[in-house]
Amino acid sequence: MSRLDDELRKAFRREQPSADFTQRLLEQVAKQPLPKARWWQRLGTLFEPPKLRWVAIGVTASLLLAIGAAQYQRLSRVVTEDNNQQQAIGSQPPATSPATPADLDNRNAPIRQDSGGVRPATVVRHTVKPATRRHALVAATQKAQELKAEGEAAKEKVLFALSIASSALSDAQKAVHDDGLNP
Amino acid sequence: MVGWEGTIVLNKATAARLDDRIERSALGDQFAFEEIVRQHQGMVFSMACHFLRDRSLAEELSQEVFLNLHQNLHSIKSPEHLTFWLRKVTSHRCIDQARRQKVRPQVSLEEVPEPAVDATENDLFLSEMLRRVVDTLPEKARMVVILRYQEDLDPAEIANVLDMPLNTVKSHLRRSLAVLRDKLGRTLGEVSL
Repeated sequence: MSRLDDELRKAFRREQPSADFTQRLLEQVAKQPLPKARWWQRLGTLFEPPKLRWVAIGVTASLLLAIGAAQYQRLSRVVTEDNNQQQAIGSQPPATSPATPADLDNRNAPIRQDSGGVRPATVVRHTVKPATRRHALVAATQKAQELKAEGEAAKEKVLFALSIASSALSDAQKAVHDDGLNP
Repeated sequence: MVGWEGTIVLNKATAARLDDRIERSALGDQFAFEEIVRQHQGMVFSMACHFLRDRSLAEELSQEVFLNLHQNLHSIKSPEHLTFWLRKVTSHRCIDQARRQKVRPQVSLEEVPEPAVDATENDLFLSEMLRRVVDTLPEKARMVVILRYQEDLDPAEIANVLDMPLNTVKSHLRRSLAVLRDKLGRTLGEVSL
Protein backbone atom coordinates (compact mmCIF):
# COMPACT_ATOMS: atom_id res chain seq x y z
CA MET A 1 0.00 0.00 0.00
CA SER A 2 1.74 3.18 -1.18
CA ARG A 3 1.31 6.65 0.24
CA LEU A 4 -0.43 7.63 -2.96
CA ASP A 5 -3.14 5.02 -2.25
CA ASP A 6 -3.61 6.42 1.25
CA GLU A 7 -3.79 9.97 -0.02
CA LEU A 8 -6.29 8.98 -2.71
CA ARG A 9 -8.47 7.27 -0.09
CA LYS A 10 -8.40 10.45 1.99
CA ALA A 11 -9.13 12.62 -1.02
CA PHE A 12 -12.09 10.48 -2.07
CA ARG A 13 -13.68 9.98 1.31
CA ARG A 14 -17.45 9.79 1.34
CA GLU A 15 -19.33 13.02 1.89
CA GLN A 16 -22.92 13.67 2.87
CA PRO A 17 -25.38 15.75 0.82
CA SER A 18 -27.19 18.75 2.28
CA ALA A 19 -29.47 18.18 5.29
CA ASP A 20 -32.70 18.56 3.35
CA PHE A 21 -31.66 16.08 0.66
CA THR A 22 -33.81 13.21 1.97
CA GLN A 23 -36.78 15.46 2.62
CA ARG A 24 -36.71 16.86 -0.91
CA LEU A 25 -36.36 13.40 -2.34
CA LEU A 26 -39.30 12.03 -0.34
CA GLU A 27 -41.46 14.91 -1.51
CA GLN A 28 -40.68 14.00 -5.09
CA VAL A 29 -41.31 10.33 -4.37
CA ALA A 30 -44.70 11.17 -2.86
CA LYS A 31 -45.69 12.83 -6.13
CA GLN A 32 -45.10 9.75 -8.23
CA PRO A 33 -47.16 6.56 -7.87
CA LEU A 34 -45.53 3.35 -6.78
CA PRO A 35 -44.94 1.29 -9.87
CA LYS A 36 -46.36 -2.21 -9.95
CA ALA A 37 -44.21 -5.13 -10.95
CA ARG A 38 -44.91 -6.44 -14.44
CA TRP A 39 -46.29 -9.96 -14.76
CA TRP A 40 -42.97 -11.32 -16.07
CA GLN A 41 -41.18 -9.75 -13.11
CA ARG A 42 -43.62 -11.44 -10.74
CA LEU A 43 -43.12 -14.67 -12.66
CA GLY A 44 -39.37 -14.19 -12.40
CA THR A 45 -39.57 -14.11 -8.60
CA LEU A 46 -40.89 -17.69 -8.69
CA PHE A 47 -37.54 -18.81 -10.05
CA GLU A 48 -35.51 -17.31 -7.22
CA PRO A 49 -33.77 -19.88 -5.02
CA PRO A 50 -36.13 -20.21 -2.01
CA LYS A 51 -39.29 -20.47 -4.08
CA LEU A 52 -37.78 -22.48 -6.92
CA ARG A 53 -37.84 -25.71 -4.89
CA TRP A 54 -41.55 -25.41 -4.14
CA VAL A 55 -42.35 -24.48 -7.71
CA ALA A 56 -40.46 -27.58 -8.89
CA ILE A 57 -42.40 -29.76 -6.45
CA GLY A 58 -45.69 -28.23 -7.57
CA VAL A 59 -44.90 -28.71 -11.24
CA THR A 60 -43.81 -32.32 -10.65
CA ALA A 61 -46.98 -33.06 -8.70
CA SER A 62 -49.12 -31.49 -11.44
CA LEU A 63 -47.32 -33.52 -14.09
CA LEU A 64 -47.87 -36.70 -12.07
CA LEU A 65 -51.55 -35.86 -11.76
CA ALA A 66 -51.90 -35.21 -15.46
CA ILE A 67 -50.07 -38.40 -16.42
CA GLY A 68 -52.08 -40.39 -13.88
CA ALA A 69 -55.37 -39.02 -15.18
CA ALA A 70 -54.43 -39.79 -18.79
CA GLN A 71 -53.35 -43.32 -17.88
CA TYR A 72 -56.54 -43.90 -15.91
CA GLN A 73 -58.68 -42.76 -18.84
CA ARG A 74 -56.81 -45.02 -21.25
CA LEU A 75 -57.20 -48.06 -19.01
CA SER A 76 -60.89 -47.35 -18.39
CA ARG A 77 -61.45 -47.21 -22.13
CA VAL A 78 -59.65 -50.54 -22.65
CA VAL A 79 -61.70 -52.22 -19.91
CA THR A 80 -64.96 -50.83 -21.35
CA GLU A 81 -64.06 -52.04 -24.83
CA ASP A 82 -63.24 -55.50 -23.48
CA ASN A 83 -66.56 -55.68 -21.65
CA ASN A 84 -68.41 -54.67 -24.80
CA GLN A 85 -66.54 -57.29 -26.78
CA GLN A 86 -67.38 -59.92 -24.21
CA GLN A 87 -71.08 -58.98 -24.31
CA ALA A 88 -71.01 -59.04 -28.10
CA ILE A 89 -69.52 -62.52 -28.14
CA GLY A 90 -72.16 -63.76 -25.68
CA SER A 91 -75.12 -62.41 -27.66
CA GLN A 92 -73.82 -63.31 -31.17
CA PRO A 93 -76.23 -65.67 -33.13
CA PRO A 94 -74.83 -69.06 -34.15
CA ALA A 95 -72.91 -69.11 -37.39
CA THR A 96 -74.64 -70.60 -40.45
CA SER A 97 -72.99 -73.00 -42.83
CA PRO A 98 -72.90 -72.54 -46.60
CA ALA A 99 -75.45 -74.44 -48.68
CA THR A 100 -74.63 -78.10 -49.16
CA PRO A 101 -74.90 -79.91 -52.54
CA ALA A 102 -78.13 -81.46 -51.28
CA ASP A 103 -79.56 -78.01 -50.77
CA LEU A 104 -78.48 -77.00 -54.25
CA ASP A 105 -80.15 -80.10 -55.67
CA ASN A 106 -83.30 -79.28 -53.82
CA ARG A 107 -83.19 -75.72 -55.15
CA ASN A 108 -82.91 -77.01 -58.74
CA ALA A 109 -85.68 -79.58 -58.34
CA PRO A 110 -88.77 -79.03 -60.50
CA ILE A 111 -91.83 -77.59 -58.86
CA ARG A 112 -94.29 -80.30 -58.26
CA GLN A 113 -97.93 -79.60 -59.16
CA ASP A 114 -99.23 -81.46 -56.12
CA SER A 115 -97.40 -79.14 -53.84
CA GLY A 116 -99.45 -76.20 -55.11
CA GLY A 117 -96.62 -74.70 -57.22
CA VAL A 118 -94.42 -74.17 -54.19
CA ARG A 119 -90.75 -75.18 -54.20
CA PRO A 120 -89.87 -77.39 -51.20
CA ALA A 121 -88.32 -75.50 -48.28
CA THR A 122 -84.54 -75.37 -48.08
CA VAL A 123 -83.12 -77.21 -45.12
CA VAL A 124 -80.42 -75.15 -43.41
CA ARG A 125 -77.78 -77.20 -41.69
CA HIS A 126 -75.45 -75.93 -38.90
CA THR A 127 -71.93 -77.22 -39.39
CA VAL A 128 -70.22 -75.39 -36.32
CA LYS A 129 -69.93 -77.96 -33.62
CA PRO A 130 -71.38 -76.88 -30.23
CA ALA A 131 -68.17 -78.01 -28.44
CA THR A 132 -65.96 -75.69 -30.53
CA ARG A 133 -68.29 -72.76 -29.94
CA ARG A 134 -68.31 -73.36 -26.20
CA HIS A 135 -64.54 -73.58 -26.21
CA ALA A 136 -64.23 -70.21 -28.04
CA LEU A 137 -66.68 -68.61 -25.62
CA VAL A 138 -64.77 -69.89 -22.60
CA ALA A 139 -61.46 -68.63 -24.06
CA ALA A 140 -62.94 -65.21 -24.79
CA THR A 141 -64.43 -64.99 -21.32
CA GLN A 142 -61.12 -65.97 -19.74
CA LYS A 143 -59.26 -63.38 -21.79
CA ALA A 144 -61.81 -60.71 -20.85
CA GLN A 145 -61.50 -61.63 -17.19
CA GLU A 146 -57.71 -61.44 -17.38
CA LEU A 147 -57.90 -58.04 -19.06
CA LYS A 148 -60.39 -56.85 -16.48
CA ALA A 149 -58.15 -57.99 -13.63
CA GLU A 150 -55.16 -56.31 -15.25
CA GLY A 151 -57.19 -53.16 -15.70
CA GLU A 152 -58.29 -53.21 -12.09
CA ALA A 153 -54.69 -53.61 -10.92
CA ALA A 154 -53.54 -50.74 -13.12
CA LYS A 155 -56.44 -48.62 -11.89
CA GLU A 156 -55.39 -49.22 -8.30
CA LYS A 157 -51.82 -48.25 -9.13
CA VAL A 158 -52.95 -45.05 -10.83
CA LEU A 159 -55.21 -44.16 -7.93
CA PHE A 160 -52.29 -44.71 -5.55
CA ALA A 161 -50.04 -42.47 -7.70
CA LEU A 162 -52.77 -39.85 -7.82
CA SER A 163 -53.10 -39.85 -4.05
CA ILE A 164 -49.30 -39.39 -3.68
CA ALA A 165 -49.28 -36.59 -6.26
CA SER A 166 -52.24 -34.92 -4.64
CA SER A 167 -50.63 -34.94 -1.20
CA ALA A 168 -47.34 -33.61 -2.67
CA LEU A 169 -49.22 -30.84 -4.42
CA SER A 170 -51.08 -29.85 -1.28
CA ASP A 171 -47.76 -29.83 0.66
CA ALA A 172 -46.20 -27.64 -2.04
CA GLN A 173 -49.14 -25.25 -2.01
CA LYS A 174 -48.98 -25.00 1.75
CA ALA A 175 -45.21 -24.38 1.64
CA VAL A 176 -45.55 -21.70 -1.06
CA HIS A 177 -48.34 -20.09 0.97
CA ASP A 178 -46.18 -20.14 4.14
CA ASP A 179 -43.23 -18.85 2.12
CA GLY A 180 -45.37 -15.96 0.93
CA LEU A 181 -46.42 -15.14 4.49
CA ASN A 182 -42.91 -15.44 5.95
CA PRO A 183 -40.46 -14.55 3.16
CA MET B 1 -16.64 -12.03 -13.67
CA VAL B 2 -17.75 -11.13 -10.19
CA GLY B 3 -21.51 -10.81 -9.80
CA TRP B 4 -23.32 -8.37 -7.57
CA GLU B 5 -23.57 -11.15 -4.99
CA GLY B 6 -19.87 -10.75 -4.31
CA THR B 7 -19.65 -7.00 -4.06
CA ILE B 8 -20.05 -6.53 -0.33
CA VAL B 9 -20.44 -8.82 2.59
CA LEU B 10 -23.00 -7.85 5.19
CA ASN B 11 -23.52 -9.62 8.47
CA LYS B 12 -26.73 -11.65 8.58
CA ALA B 13 -28.63 -9.35 10.93
CA THR B 14 -27.87 -6.22 8.88
CA ALA B 15 -28.71 -8.02 5.66
CA ALA B 16 -32.01 -9.26 7.08
CA ARG B 17 -32.94 -5.76 8.31
CA LEU B 18 -32.07 -4.22 4.96
CA ASP B 19 -33.88 -7.01 3.13
CA ASP B 20 -36.95 -6.24 5.18
CA ARG B 21 -36.66 -2.54 4.33
CA ILE B 22 -36.39 -3.27 0.62
CA GLU B 23 -39.45 -5.49 0.78
CA ARG B 24 -41.44 -2.90 2.73
CA SER B 25 -40.32 -0.08 0.42
CA ALA B 26 -41.40 -2.07 -2.61
CA LEU B 27 -44.80 -2.41 -0.97
CA GLY B 28 -45.03 1.36 -0.60
CA ASP B 29 -43.65 1.90 2.91
CA GLN B 30 -42.16 5.43 2.77
CA PHE B 31 -40.36 5.10 6.08
CA ALA B 32 -38.55 2.00 4.90
CA PHE B 33 -37.57 3.80 1.70
CA GLU B 34 -36.35 6.77 3.72
CA GLU B 35 -34.11 4.48 5.75
CA ILE B 36 -32.66 3.03 2.55
CA VAL B 37 -32.00 6.53 1.21
CA ARG B 38 -30.32 7.69 4.43
CA GLN B 39 -28.12 4.61 4.44
CA HIS B 40 -26.94 5.00 0.83
CA GLN B 41 -27.11 8.72 0.12
CA GLY B 42 -23.49 9.26 1.19
CA MET B 43 -22.25 6.71 -1.30
CA VAL B 44 -24.34 7.94 -4.22
CA PHE B 45 -23.77 11.63 -3.54
CA SER B 46 -20.00 11.22 -3.03
CA MET B 47 -19.59 9.30 -6.27
CA ALA B 48 -21.47 12.03 -8.14
CA CYS B 49 -19.74 14.85 -6.30
CA HIS B 50 -16.22 13.50 -6.78
CA PHE B 51 -16.93 12.81 -10.41
CA LEU B 52 -18.77 16.01 -11.37
CA ARG B 53 -16.99 18.31 -8.89
CA ASP B 54 -20.23 20.23 -8.42
CA ARG B 55 -22.28 19.72 -5.25
CA SER B 56 -25.61 20.98 -6.56
CA LEU B 57 -25.34 18.98 -9.76
CA ALA B 58 -24.30 15.95 -7.71
CA GLU B 59 -27.35 16.34 -5.46
CA GLU B 60 -29.61 16.62 -8.47
CA LEU B 61 -28.14 13.50 -10.02
CA SER B 62 -28.37 11.62 -6.71
CA GLN B 63 -32.05 12.51 -6.43
CA GLU B 64 -32.62 11.13 -9.92
CA VAL B 65 -30.82 7.93 -8.98
CA PHE B 66 -33.00 7.43 -5.88
CA LEU B 67 -36.17 8.24 -7.81
CA ASN B 68 -35.11 5.63 -10.34
CA LEU B 69 -34.53 3.22 -7.47
CA HIS B 70 -38.03 3.90 -6.15
CA GLN B 71 -39.42 2.95 -9.55
CA ASN B 72 -37.38 -0.24 -9.65
CA LEU B 73 -37.61 -1.44 -6.07
CA HIS B 74 -39.44 -4.61 -7.07
CA SER B 75 -36.42 -5.69 -9.11
CA ILE B 76 -34.01 -5.41 -6.16
CA LYS B 77 -33.30 -8.87 -4.83
CA SER B 78 -31.05 -8.28 -1.81
CA PRO B 79 -29.06 -5.61 0.07
CA GLU B 80 -25.94 -6.55 -1.93
CA HIS B 81 -27.91 -6.17 -5.14
CA LEU B 82 -29.18 -2.79 -3.95
CA THR B 83 -25.63 -1.47 -3.39
CA PHE B 84 -24.46 -2.88 -6.69
CA TRP B 85 -27.49 -1.36 -8.48
CA LEU B 86 -26.91 2.08 -6.94
CA ARG B 87 -23.21 2.07 -7.84
CA LYS B 88 -23.92 0.97 -11.36
CA VAL B 89 -26.70 3.46 -12.03
CA THR B 90 -24.78 6.32 -10.42
CA SER B 91 -21.61 5.55 -12.40
CA HIS B 92 -23.41 5.38 -15.71
CA ARG B 93 -25.44 8.50 -15.03
CA CYS B 94 -22.34 10.43 -14.03
CA ILE B 95 -20.51 9.40 -17.19
CA ASP B 96 -23.55 10.24 -19.34
CA GLN B 97 -23.96 13.58 -17.61
CA ALA B 98 -20.32 14.51 -18.13
CA ARG B 99 -20.47 13.54 -21.81
CA ARG B 100 -23.82 15.20 -22.48
CA GLN B 101 -23.35 18.53 -20.78
CA LYS B 102 -19.59 18.75 -20.85
CA VAL B 103 -19.81 20.00 -17.30
CA ARG B 104 -16.25 19.05 -16.63
CA PRO B 105 -13.97 21.96 -17.35
CA GLN B 106 -11.61 20.88 -20.07
CA VAL B 107 -8.43 21.39 -18.12
CA SER B 108 -5.32 19.66 -19.35
CA LEU B 109 -2.76 18.25 -16.96
CA GLU B 110 -0.43 21.08 -17.74
CA GLU B 111 -3.06 23.63 -16.76
CA VAL B 112 -3.56 22.30 -13.26
CA PRO B 113 -2.31 25.10 -11.05
CA GLU B 114 0.94 24.64 -9.20
CA PRO B 115 0.69 24.47 -5.41
CA ALA B 116 1.33 27.64 -3.52
CA VAL B 117 1.98 26.07 -0.14
CA ASP B 118 4.01 23.14 1.13
CA ALA B 119 1.85 20.07 0.58
CA THR B 120 3.47 18.00 3.30
CA GLU B 121 2.14 20.46 5.85
CA ASN B 122 -1.32 20.50 4.47
CA ASP B 123 -3.20 17.27 3.84
CA LEU B 124 -6.27 19.14 2.71
CA PHE B 125 -4.26 20.80 0.03
CA LEU B 126 -2.82 17.49 -1.15
CA SER B 127 -6.30 15.95 -1.27
CA GLU B 128 -7.57 18.86 -3.32
CA MET B 129 -4.57 18.57 -5.60
CA LEU B 130 -5.26 14.86 -6.13
CA ARG B 131 -8.92 15.52 -6.89
CA ARG B 132 -7.98 18.15 -9.44
CA VAL B 133 -5.55 15.85 -11.19
CA VAL B 134 -8.10 13.01 -11.21
CA ASP B 135 -10.55 15.51 -12.67
CA THR B 136 -8.35 15.77 -15.76
CA LEU B 137 -8.66 12.05 -16.51
CA PRO B 138 -11.10 10.71 -19.13
CA GLU B 139 -14.60 9.89 -17.79
CA LYS B 140 -14.24 6.13 -17.45
CA ALA B 141 -10.76 6.29 -15.98
CA ARG B 142 -12.01 8.87 -13.48
CA MET B 143 -14.90 6.65 -12.42
CA VAL B 144 -12.52 3.69 -12.08
CA VAL B 145 -10.35 5.75 -9.67
CA ILE B 146 -13.41 6.88 -7.68
CA LEU B 147 -14.77 3.35 -7.36
CA ARG B 148 -11.32 2.08 -6.39
CA TYR B 149 -10.54 4.68 -3.74
CA GLN B 150 -13.92 5.90 -2.54
CA GLU B 151 -15.75 2.57 -2.59
CA ASP B 152 -12.66 0.41 -2.08
CA LEU B 153 -13.72 -1.99 -4.84
CA ASP B 154 -11.25 -4.38 -6.42
CA PRO B 155 -10.72 -4.29 -10.20
CA ALA B 156 -13.07 -7.25 -10.83
CA GLU B 157 -15.90 -5.51 -8.97
CA ILE B 158 -15.23 -2.25 -10.82
CA ALA B 159 -15.34 -4.14 -14.13
CA ASN B 160 -18.70 -5.55 -13.15
CA VAL B 161 -20.15 -2.20 -12.13
CA LEU B 162 -18.93 -0.41 -15.26
CA ASP B 163 -19.58 -3.30 -17.69
CA MET B 164 -15.96 -3.18 -18.69
CA PRO B 165 -13.34 -5.90 -19.30
CA LEU B 166 -11.16 -6.55 -16.26
CA ASN B 167 -7.95 -5.80 -18.17
CA THR B 168 -9.33 -2.42 -19.25
CA VAL B 169 -10.00 -1.55 -15.61
CA LYS B 170 -6.49 -2.61 -14.60
CA SER B 171 -5.02 -0.62 -17.45
CA HIS B 172 -7.08 2.48 -16.50
CA LEU B 173 -5.90 2.19 -12.92
CA ARG B 174 -2.27 1.72 -13.90
CA ARG B 175 -2.31 4.67 -16.28
CA SER B 176 -4.19 6.92 -13.86
CA LEU B 177 -1.76 6.19 -11.04
CA ALA B 178 1.16 6.82 -13.38
CA VAL B 179 -0.33 10.18 -14.35
CA LEU B 180 -0.95 11.06 -10.70
CA ARG B 181 2.58 10.10 -9.67
CA ASP B 182 4.06 12.01 -12.57
CA LYS B 183 2.03 15.16 -12.00
CA LEU B 184 2.34 15.20 -8.25
CA GLY B 185 5.98 14.18 -8.40
CA ARG B 186 6.74 17.12 -10.62
CA THR B 187 4.65 19.49 -8.57
CA LEU B 188 5.54 18.26 -5.13
CA GLY B 189 9.06 17.10 -5.83
CA GLU B 190 9.97 16.50 -2.26
CA VAL B 191 6.95 14.27 -1.46
CA SER B 192 7.61 10.60 -2.09
CA LEU B 193 4.42 9.06 -3.45
